[in-house]
Amino acid sequence: MTLTTPHQYKARLADKLIHNAKFEQYNFELVEPNQLKFAAGQYGSFLISDQGHRRSWSICSSPAIDHSLEILIDPAPKGAGTQFLQNLKLGDEVQLLAPLGKFTIDESGAEKALVFVATGAGITPFRSMILDLLQVKKDTRPMILHWGLRYVEEMIWQNEFQELAENFPNFQFHPVISKASQEWSMCRGRVTDCLNVHQLLDHAGYYLCGSEQMIADVIQLLSAKGVAPARIHREKFY
Amino acid sequence: MNNKQITPDAKGNFSKQIGRYKVEVIREKCIGAASCVAIAPKVFELDEEQIAIILSQDGEDDQTKLLAAQSCPTAAIVVTDTQTGKQVWPLE
Repeated sequence: MTLTTPHQYKARLADKLIHNAKFEQYNFELVEPNQLKFAAGQYGSFLISDQGHRRSWSICSSPAIDHSLEILIDPAPKGAGTQFLQNLKLGDEVQLLAPLGKFTIDESGAEKALVFVATGAGITPFRSMILDLLQVKKDTRPMILHWGLRYVEEMIWQNEFQELAENFPNFQFHPVISKASQEWSMCRGRVTDCLNVHQLLDHAGYYLCGSEQMIADVIQLLSAKGVAPARIHREKFY
Repeated sequence: MNNKQITPDAKGNFSKQIGRYKVEVIREKCIGAASCVAIAPKVFELDEEQIAIILSQDGEDDQTKLLAAQSCPTAAIVVTDTQTGKQVWPLE
């Protein structure tokens, strides 16, 4: 993709949603400029200190919503970025630079199907991509989302993804739980286990975001199955 | 005070340096996120390995170069004030 010039934005915290101990979602309403055009998968760089420290977070909202943006974090690392967000009160103003990043859907038309593989907060860019592809672009290519989490209790957006799967027959949602209880009826284990038992889609593009170990394992698996490196895309931070 | 210096770029070419700040990329840290390229395209580009390299110290002002460094998700860009010799970013 061609990199667009990022711009400085002021935005206000409009909503904060503490889903569970694993995920927190923040919604920022743009103030000045009040419109952001971005490609699904891109991120913003937020100023988190007067000394110039910044943190980058992928945008999880649809590009169709251009007056605000949402981000999702896993607060567990408890780093400076997490503390900055957690200390924000509704209405507080932040500064960010956006859009940034080139982890976006290949536009060449060579990929006849799309497979998204995430662990944890690596789901973030994929929510934006999937909403954009299905609801806005009306993309009818087969798409599968494999999302790995440790516990069922960590799962968020499950209803949203399942509704998308019901409304768009070309989309499948495969949550994978590594420490699932007996009642869990879907994939269990790691995302590589889930990928391994499902037949690979022909001429698919694979988009990976999550832990380094997961990305290394998936690349190894896909390479062993003959997927060309050019068909494997990865976000290098999340 | 004359802020212009003659320095070689990544390709060994000499160019005028505008401003005081000199940027360097720590290759081992760079993940090719390309935020620097988006912010300061006249200073940074990605090479064939998708790692950032210095195209030229010229072409962007000091604040733009500093912003590019501060926006790097892995702090792979070091900014030095050529007049004082001090590292401006990352903060030491």
